[in-house]
Order: sequence, then structure tokens, then C-alpha cells
Amino acid sequence: MDFSLTDEQREWQMKARKFAREEIRPISLARDAIEDPAATFDWDIIRKGSRLGFRTMAVPREWGGHGTDFVTQALVMTELARADSAISKAFSQCWKWSHLIAASCTEEQKGRFLKPFLADDTFVLGKGISEHSAGSDNRLPPADDPKAGLKLRAERRGDEWILNGEKAFIANGNIGKLFFIDARTDPNAPLKQGTTMFLVPRDTPGFRAGKVYNKSGWRFYQNGEMIFENARVPHANVVGEVNGAVRKSGGAGGDTTGGDLFGDLELAANALGICDDACEVALQHARGAKQGGRALFEQQLIQLKLNRMHMLTEALRSFVMRVAWEHDRKIHSPNPGLAMNFSTDVVQEVAELYMDVRGGAGCAMDAHADKLARDSIIWSHLAGDTVQRLKVAGRLGK
Amino acid sequence: MFDLRLSPEQLEIRDTVRDFVAREVKPVALKPERLEPFAKPLLAAQLDQASKLGLRTLALTEAGGGAGADNLTCCIVTEELAVGDPDIAAVFAHTAALGRRLERAMTPAQRERFLPQFVRDDAFHLALAEREPGGGTALGVNYHRPATIQPVTRTTAVRSGGDWVINGAKTAVANAPIAKMFVVQAGVGTLLVPRDAPGLCLRGQDGHWFHGSCGEVTFEDCRVPADNLLGAGIEADGRGSAELQALNLGIGRAAYEAALDYAQLRVQGGRPIVEHQAIGAKLAGIAIRLEVARAAIWRAAWASDHPEAVADRSLPDLPLQTIARVYTAEAMLEVAKDAAECFGAMGVMRDLPMQKYVHDARVCLHSGDGSADATLRLAEALAGYRRPAKTGT
Repeated sequence: MDFSLTDEQREWQMKARKFAREEIRPISLARDAIEDPAATFDWDIIRKGSRLGFRTMAVPREWGGHGTDFVTQALVMTELARADSAISKAFSQCWKWSHLIAASCTEEQKGRFLKPFLADDTFVLGKGISEHSAGSDNRLPPADDPKAGLKLRAERRGDEWILNGEKAFIANGNIGKLFFIDARTDPNAPLKQGTTMFLVPRDTPGFRAGKVYNKSGWRFYQNGEMIFENARVPHANVVGEVNGAVRKSGGAGGDTTGGDLFGDLELAANALGICDDACEVALQHARGAKQGGRALFEQQLIQLKLNRMHMLTEALRSFVMRVAWEHDRKIHSPNPGLAMNFSTDVVQEVAELYMDVRGGAGCAMDAHADKLARDSIIWSHLAGDTVQRLKVAGRLGK
Repeated sequence: MFDLRLSPEQLEIRDTVRDFVAREVKPVALKPERLEPFAKPLLAAQLDQASKLGLRTLALTEAGGGAGADNLTCCIVTEELAVGDPDIAAVFAHTAALGRRLERAMTPAQRERFLPQFVRDDAFHLALAEREPGGGTALGVNYHRPATIQPVTRTTAVRSGGDWVINGAKTAVANAPIAKMFVVQAGVGTLLVPRDAPGLCLRGQDGHWFHGSCGEVTFEDCRVPADNLLGAGIEADGRGSAELQALNLGIGRAAYEAALDYAQLRVQGGRPIVEHQAIGAKLAGIAIRLEVARAAIWRAAWASDHPEAVADRSLPDLPLQTIARVYTAEAMLEVAKDAAECFGAMGVMRDLPMQKYVHDARVCLHSGDGSADATLRLAEALAGYRRPAKTGT
């Protein structure tokens, strides 16, 4: 049993902490406050982070990436999220899908897509699964309704596939240069047997971005609509086998390197960053702010809140690091999903407690506390919603 | 005798306000541009219509030109308004409750001079200017200690000929931006100050962590006639009225109603999501919190309407309004969050109402002196602690 980090892991952590403190923190609140959801994004911070390796750190070394392990990735996500959860997610979203490329693409596809991804500081990735009428159904396809789930259709025409339909809420949908798109290739088969994954570059004819969603939290992070009108994708861009998409995502096979299971660790590690941020500032505030001439910290109710914030945060850290460690050892367990579910409860409670400690001063609320509360709510709508919990329970029940 | 029946008048006004909210308020309040968390103008036309329904003067006696509504009725009305728009509910809750308190504190001559113009003018709102900058009343470090927690009044009123000359500043004054009359706590007592009094200066409040409208008021040699000094102090209403808790409850109910509708429409997993146990149980939990909160609020309001009920041992000698405040604020945030979760990704979109309900519930939880302070007040009351009365230093 050894909790120590290697020198390399420690180095990445410190590099991320410095970048977060010096570059991300100063822009965080200002980007969050921008009213137009499509204008909150900032390529400058992506370029700067990319030059330090934060965009490509999950790409294997043999393909020119940094080949960092999962423990390192968890550490870096947490450090970046400590300064801004949404900006951390904008970087780690690229790792999620570079894991998928490494795990699921052919050598030829890796050559075509990983090289430009590595060479271009503004090359970000996305994956389109959700649609307006297909959210939970994609995660937990109902046995008694085989037609449920995504509807975007792909039909073979010679060497091409013709895609028609729309995706909704897609991360980086308006700014990504390359997307994995799940499309129904057998409309009569259930989701798992009738869906194929395609690599779709941004300049694909017949594809365009729709609106950018105006979220209350994670405002920097872009979620958009994607519209496919007779979009033409070469057969060479099929990932894995036709009608084999779901397996390739890592969802069914328990493959820890696929995108989905990394996503569980990702959300839990990101939540930990928010918790670290909240704990640090809450403690500072409690020590510095005075009430009736005495430090807030002197009050038992404040101390109990700080205690609970730290207790939950450290419990989450233990869980996150254990899951990262298990991923590095290719251990398959329901822990990634459980950690993600747990992180939802923890990040929301810690953000609420932080708001409590800051208190309402007259008619205003501290903008930072307000942002963390709004960001933390995102977990209910992505990571911890009931369907995700049921999905994890499904893994337990197997 | 234990009787929870509402009177025919209470049922009638509840139906009237509910209908008004459905027809006139919701269609406007739910427009996407009003759902974003930015300062937005009050709905002027709806404020006017609500006044014409009699909601502004609801709590005045019939002799004074009102409906003589009790605290419970005011809570019922406030909840209904808040289901449509918490800002309208806040404006009317403040004006109606303050109207009642004023009527009691006025001399007959003042009533005759003031009440007719108040009753006649649908845009006549009231504001109580009591809190002063830096004059926090948080219990916090003073829990169970004799230090004064009375708000310090530095605002002065000095007699000059036939006038009072007021100097000072007030902050977090609800209704300030729209009020035509300010009820001002000054050293000498409580004064009525019309909006257009010379030397009165208004500024909208920074931030938007409140419902309704809020502002700062300063008085620089502000002059009002001598007989604007109220005959009596402006006493809080009995054991505390619970309108702001009813407002909080209305926010939770709006979230619940939206979630219940959506859960019956949205199909995932092969059936409307309400037919899944997980969503059904979530909605049940929401309904439980709403009913428990309403019971606590109505009990507090009824206690306020029946001060004799403690003496006759029908009610415990507890600050029931504080109990309702702490429970409702925490429960309604949970309600709003659970209701929003039923909407999946749509629960966090700014052009849709669910995220606004969550924000609105947070505002209730963290506004005023906060739940922690209320909890400590309750704890002091349980132990029978009486803070020695002394004036602020």
C-alpha cells in the first residue's frame, strides 16, 4: 500500500497547479459572466495549455503524445478544475476521445487523425451521442423498446455513408475539428446492435453546427447542436465494425481505456478540483472575515461546516485516486461509476456549504461561491442523474 | 377543536389569484429573456393588475379601505403569486404587510390623511427603511451572549420649525426603487417619508440576490412635516408573519408543477418517465416537502393571527415562523434541484425555467440574515434565553 506519487506524476501536478493559478484563475470569473454562451470560450487559454501538453497528454508516446498514466490525468484534471471546472473539462474532453482513438481506431485512422490533432494547438475533439429525444435511452436502452435511443441515420452509398439527423448538447459541437458520431445503421435493431461510430471531420460536406446551449453552469464549456443533412462520410471513417459502436465506446466490454469509463473518472476528478477550491477559499474566508470584531472561524457552526467540507473532499480524493490506480492496472470494477455518482453528491454539498460559509452579505452573493454552486449542479444533469446511478447498479447486478 | 378548513373567502381569493397567475403572469414571466439571472424590470402591467385585484391593500382593515385579510390569507396569496413570479410576490408581500403595520401605528388623523391616497393609487407601494450600512444583526458570535444584536440606528431626525429634518442612510430596502412612501426608522421614532421629499436620494441595490426590488436610500437634510411622525412604533406582526416563507414555497411549487407535467410527457425507457420508480419517488419526495413546508407556514401564520393560542396551550411557545423559515428554505432548494433533475440537460438551460427555480430557491436560503442565524435564534428561544435589552453602541 503506497500513496506516494512518482516524480513524473508530481511534476505534472505542479505544472498544472502553476498553469491553473497563473493563467486560468485570472480569467475564470470573467469568462463565466459573459452573457452570450458562444462567446465564453477562449482559444488563447487552450493554446497556452496545449503548448504545456494539457491537450494531448493522454495520447500514447508511440504516437507522439505524452502517454501519461491515469493517476497523472486525475491529478491534472483536479488541479485545472481547482481554478475553473469548465476549462479543465475543455482540456480533458480531448483526452477522453484520444483514449478512444488509441483504443479503437485502425493504424491508418490513427495516422490520419492523431497526427493533425497533435500538430494543431486548436484541434479539439468531440463525440455526438445525445439527441433531443434520446438521452437516458442511449445510456440505458430499455429492453422492451428496441427503437428507443438515438435516431440519427447513416445509410451506405458506395464508399460513403450518408448521415441525416441532429445531435444535441454535444460538447465542443461548435468548435471541434473532429467528432465521433454515433449513428443508427440498422433502424430495426436495438441500439446496441444497430449503431455505428463514425469519425466526422468538421469540414464534412452536409454537416453544420447549430446553436450553442446557454447553460447556467460550466459556461466556458461549449455544448452545441450538430446538424447533418446528407452529410457524406467515407467508409474508411467507420470506427471498428459496422453496428459495433456501443462496444467500442468501452461501455459494454469493461475496457478501461475507452471514452466512457475514462469519463467516469474525469467527472469525479474534476469535482474534486471544485471541492479543493471551495475548501481553500472557505477556510481563508473564515479566518479573515470578522463578525462583531471576531473571526468567523471562532464559531462552532462555521467549524462544523469546514469540517464537513474537508471530510467529504478527502473521501472523494481517496476514491478518485483509487479509481485512477485501478485504471492504470486495468482492473475492471464498478468503482469508476460509483466514484462519479459519489462526486455528484460531494461536489454539490461542498459547494452549498461554501455558499453557507460565505453567507449572503445584504443583497449580494459572492460571485465565486455562486459560480461553484452553478457549476456543481451540472453534475446532476450529466454525471449523477438517476440513469447514471441505475447504469452503475446494472454493473453491480451482473 | 382542530380545524384546517379554509374560509369561503380564503378559497375564493386563492382561486382568483391562481387564475390571474395562470392567465396573466406566467405567459410573460416564463419568456426566455426573463429567466436569465440578470437584473430585469418588474412586470409593470401585472403589478397594476394585481393591485386592481386588491392584493396591494389586502391586509388593511375594511374600514381602512382593504379586505381585512389575516396573515394566513396573505400567505396563501403570496404563495400563489410566487408560483408565477417571485418578484411580483415579494413586492406585494412587502406592501401588504407594511400597510397593515402602518395602519396600526398611525394616529386617526394620519390614517385619514394617508390611507385614501394609498388605497386609490394602484402604483402606490411601501418600503420599510430599517437596515443601515454596516449594521448587520447576525447572531453568530453573539449566540447566547449578552452583546446586543439590535440593529444600530444612526439615522437622525431633528425638529426644525414645523418639520423633521432627517439625515442618514439605509440599505437593502425592499421595494425602494418603486415605493411612493418610505417608512423610516430614525432616532426619534418612525417617520413617513414620501418619495419626492426633498433630500431623499435613491439608488438601486447592486447584485440581484433578492426577490422583488431593492435599493439604498440616503437622507440629506430631508424634510418632512412634523405630523409625519407615527403615533406608535412600527411593531413586527405578532409572532412574525410568514409571507416570505410562502413566497419560498411558491418557488418550490412552480418547480414541482413543471416537473410533474414534464414527467408525464417525456418518454424514455419506453414509457413516460413518471412511470419509472426513480422519477416517481423523486416527485413523491418533492410533494412531501411541499406539504410539510406548507403546514409549517400556515401554522406560523395562524399563530400570528391568534396570539391567544399560546396562552390557551393550543400552540407551543416557540418561534414558529423561524421554524418555518429554516425548514422551507432548505427543503425548497432540494425541491427545485430534484425537479430540475427530471428535465435532464434541459434542467440547466438558461432559456428554460428550471435553473431559475434553483437560483430563486438559493436566494431565499441565503438572503436576509441566513438560515444559520435563524437556527441560532431558535436555539436561544428553546433554552428560554432572553437577551438583556440595551441600546446599541
